[in-house]
Amino acid sequence: MENNCKDCKYYLPVDVFKGICKIEKTNIGPDDLSCIQFERLPKCKFCRKYKAEKEFLGSCLGETIAYPDMNASKCAGFEWF
Amino acid sequence: MRPPEPSPKEAINYYGPKPSESIENRETKRSPGYRANSARKLYFEAKSSASVEFPYWYTRRWEELEGEIPIVRRGEAMKSGFEHLTPVIYPGELLVMGKAAYLRGSYPMPWLSEAFFMAVEDKLYKEAMESGKLTADSFTTIGKGGGNVIRSSGNVISIAGKFGLRKEELPVLMEVAKKWKDKSVDDIGHKYEQLVPGYKEKEALMRSVICMFDSGYTLPQGREVINFYYPLQYGIDGIIRICEEGIAETAGTPDMDRIYFFQAVILMLQGLQSWIRNHAEEARFLSSLEKDEKQKLEYDEIAGRLEWLSTNRPRSFHDAMQMIWIFQTAVLNEDAISGLSPGRVGQVLYPYWKRDMEKGIIDREKTLDLLECMRIKFTEIDCFASMGVVGGVLSGNTFNNLCIGGLKKDGTQAANELEMLILEAGITCDTPQPTLSLLYDEKLPEEFLLKGIECTKIGTGYPAWVNNQVAMEFLLNNYGHEGMQSEEARAWSIGGCLETSPGSWMPLELDGEIHWIPGGSAPATSVGVHFLSLPKLLEVTLFDGLDMRSGGRVFPSHGYALESYEELWSALKDYFHRAVHVLTLTNNIQHDAWRKISPSLVNSMLKPDCLKKGKDIGQMGSRFNSTFNVESCGTANLVNSLASLKKNVYDDHKYSLAEFRNAILANFGFKTAQETGSYSLIDQVATEEYHKWKKIHKAGLDAPKFGNDDEYVDRIMADWENWFCSMTHEFRSLYDQPLYACQISVSTHGPMGAVTLASPDGRLCGTTFSDGSMSAFPGTDKNGPYALFESASCWNHSLSQNSQMNMKIHPSVVKGREGSRKFLELIRAYMRKGGFHVQFNIVDSRMLKEAQAEPDKFRSLLVRVAGFTQYWVELGKQIQDEVISRTEYEEL
Repeated sequence: MENNCKDCKYYLPVDVFKGICKIEKTNIGPDDLSCIQFERLPKCKFCRKYKAEKEFLGSCLGETIAYPDMNASKCAGFEWF
Repeated sequence: MRPPEPSPKEAINYYGPKPSESIENRETKRSPGYRANSARKLYFEAKSSASVEFPYWYTRRWEELEGEIPIVRRGEAMKSGFEHLTPVIYPGELLVMGKAAYLRGSYPMPWLSEAFFMAVEDKLYKEAMESGKLTADSFTTIGKGGGNVIRSSGNVISIAGKFGLRKEELPVLMEVAKKWKDKSVDDIGHKYEQLVPGYKEKEALMRSVICMFDSGYTLPQGREVINFYYPLQYGIDGIIRICEEGIAETAGTPDMDRIYFFQAVILMLQGLQSWIRNHAEEARFLSSLEKDEKQKLEYDEIAGRLEWLSTNRPRSFHDAMQMIWIFQTAVLNEDAISGLSPGRVGQVLYPYWKRDMEKGIIDREKTLDLLECMRIKFTEIDCFASMGVVGGVLSGNTFNNLCIGGLKKDGTQAANELEMLILEAGITCDTPQPTLSLLYDEKLPEEFLLKGIECTKIGTGYPAWVNNQVAMEFLLNNYGHEGMQSEEARAWSIGGCLETSPGSWMPLELDGEIHWIPGGSAPATSVGVHFLSLPKLLEVTLFDGLDMRSGGRVFPSHGYALESYEELWSALKDYFHRAVHVLTLTNNIQHDAWRKISPSLVNSMLKPDCLKKGKDIGQMGSRFNSTFNVESCGTANLVNSLASLKKNVYDDHKYSLAEFRNAILANFGFKTAQETGSYSLIDQVATEEYHKWKKIHKAGLDAPKFGNDDEYVDRIMADWENWFCSMTHEFRSLYDQPLYACQISVSTHGPMGAVTLASPDGRLCGTTFSDGSMSAFPGTDKNGPYALFESASCWNHSLSQNSQMNMKIHPSVVKGREGSRKFLELIRAYMRKGGFHVQFNIVDSRMLKEAQAEPDKFRSLLVRVAGFTQYWVELGKQIQDEVISRTEYEEL
């Protein structure tokens, strides 16, 4: 799977179109391909409890709706896949 | 009026000689420091962006707690929302944290209303499918609209031409919205408001746009003044202790209903603490990445400050500013809110600032740096409300009014050195937020007033000048029965753009000394009947209850033959009364649904005396609760139209009422504003039929006009004001308190004008009404500013929550020190006559014309609309046209 900047822990969102790299301080886009410094941000799609069901939608533990691009860094239940 | 194709220079209303050939710039232009300049640059590049994070976690927790006590359930849901928000900190920030994980971030609150998403679900999905045809690059070339995401492109969906949403968040937004179907404040309120006798009339009022929008689920809070006393005095842990003591005192007693409120506040505060600490953690993380030593140190300081403030009271001026910002943002995260005014923060923060200055902890330069950063943070605030509200009423603004001046608790003047610096920051860092209002009192020092003039002259539209004594009289009249006395009336401030709001003095202890600080002590002061279109009501009166635009019936026949002016006046009053009656009842039900489903916790906790009473603001926990109003729009057009009919039909018998009706239906032989694409009267284009209506149109235009010190029409204004302000007291709010009159147009004079036919004063179909309530209709004030003041002071302004007057002055008129003195005397003259409010655009109208034609060149141009300052490029065309058409004074 290709990694995008918006999935990186060094991505600082400015708006829905663009952000800033926390390391390089350069302007980047959320959908830009990631660079060598990429490190995954905890997101639902990287969590073992997430189950994809349709495009952009799934569930958490099969019980609660969830979406793959949710930032889960503050979710107590997050577990890397 | 000249029919086709007026030249740009001619299409401007002037009082006095026309300006010279070249466009005159505003006199003073200074720049912010490097830090604020960089932040503002980033702001200019940022688009309004929505996210689903908070509503997702809020709804998820809400669903888990089915059956829990509602207010505790709400506390749990808010806690979950706050603790899961992604922390973001931007380089160079001195004050951190925001509503959502974007610079101009906000989010929908489907527990208030999910109807919009349900209605447009198919449309949004379709756009998501199709938007791949466009690229993000192609979007960013569209400068017009400033920060508004006006169309979908790439992986971004535009919501109502304003907010951008990532495509990957759309499906979950729809799922979350569906969970609130039949459970939101909107849906529950609607279910029960239908029980009000005559409910169908309410629907007709909304359809005809006689009333602009509902109250209970749109912006249920705001137009009020926040109170920062508790966090400053006790810190968050201290407030939690107050709640725990409250629980211990009342658990199991007959008064125990209070424990649920206290418990909910504790839960919410725990969420806030996590939210603050998450930002501290982020600051530590950024510091670990940082190579620049200065920036690294700043990140560490931010982290240390947030860690401290997550439990404790502030130690310094900088701490106190950060604390204020945390709670300002926290309140904005609990409801869709416009007009959450920080109030007199220059006086609240002064004890900290003075102490830090004396100790050498801070200097003026650093203070200015912080105040400029504060301006940027306030400007970043966006409000995700229903689209008619965001666009049609707010023009994208959020109305966070910072007040300066006024009086202290002991009756002496309250202006201080920090407020001088607040004005200076308003000059160096000219941004829409926070807008400033100067509470004018004769006791204020000349130096302070002249600093206010210096700021007004830069053309930002702030400070607005507001009459302290008139406001206090209004407050004592309306809150005296709740115990307000003159000392407490002095603690008032402006909530929202221009809503007089009650305050209280609270004892802040610092180094063993007590400082009495002002802060708001009432909930939203502008809820109830939102914006009644006075010219449209007159139109419906003339056509015996019919809305001639749609052909629908709004009211039953009024039964008058309208054979005399007195009959016309009676019929108008009857219809107005009917409208206020049904709208008060339906809005009371909506607000009842709001307080049951979505009670305020953050704002309630802050407002005296909710923590003492153990009650939220929806249960009258505040010290003052008489806060519902009736808002009007289009006052000058109503009064001018009544004057025209009185003169032409009833006094001079020049035309019959039937002839006027026919002329109105024929739009006096002109194209409509929608057809011409301009909403200003001066730009309208005649048809070949014009000759048929020319004489009657001229009679309408020539009839006496408000704003010229003409007793004929001013008498009508006084009659209207005296009746309107009095009749509102007949109606009772949800809290069984009388309503009062509120007379601000915000941006409603645009859309409301757009759906109104021509009016008897000569105004044409679809054109924008006069702004505010004491502003003359553009081009009709022919006798200069002092004549306008005479007209406007023909009634007692303390009868109303406000009155609003906008003036446009050419920069050359107030140039230099002499110009400043002349300008101050002009304002003083109006205040001394009892005028409540006046605000200014100091601008050459030709520059506005240029900016309309080439918006990309004017990204930073600010103008004053009606109670707020906004970037020109973010205003809709209706309002742009109206601001251009306002009479430009070339001499005073």
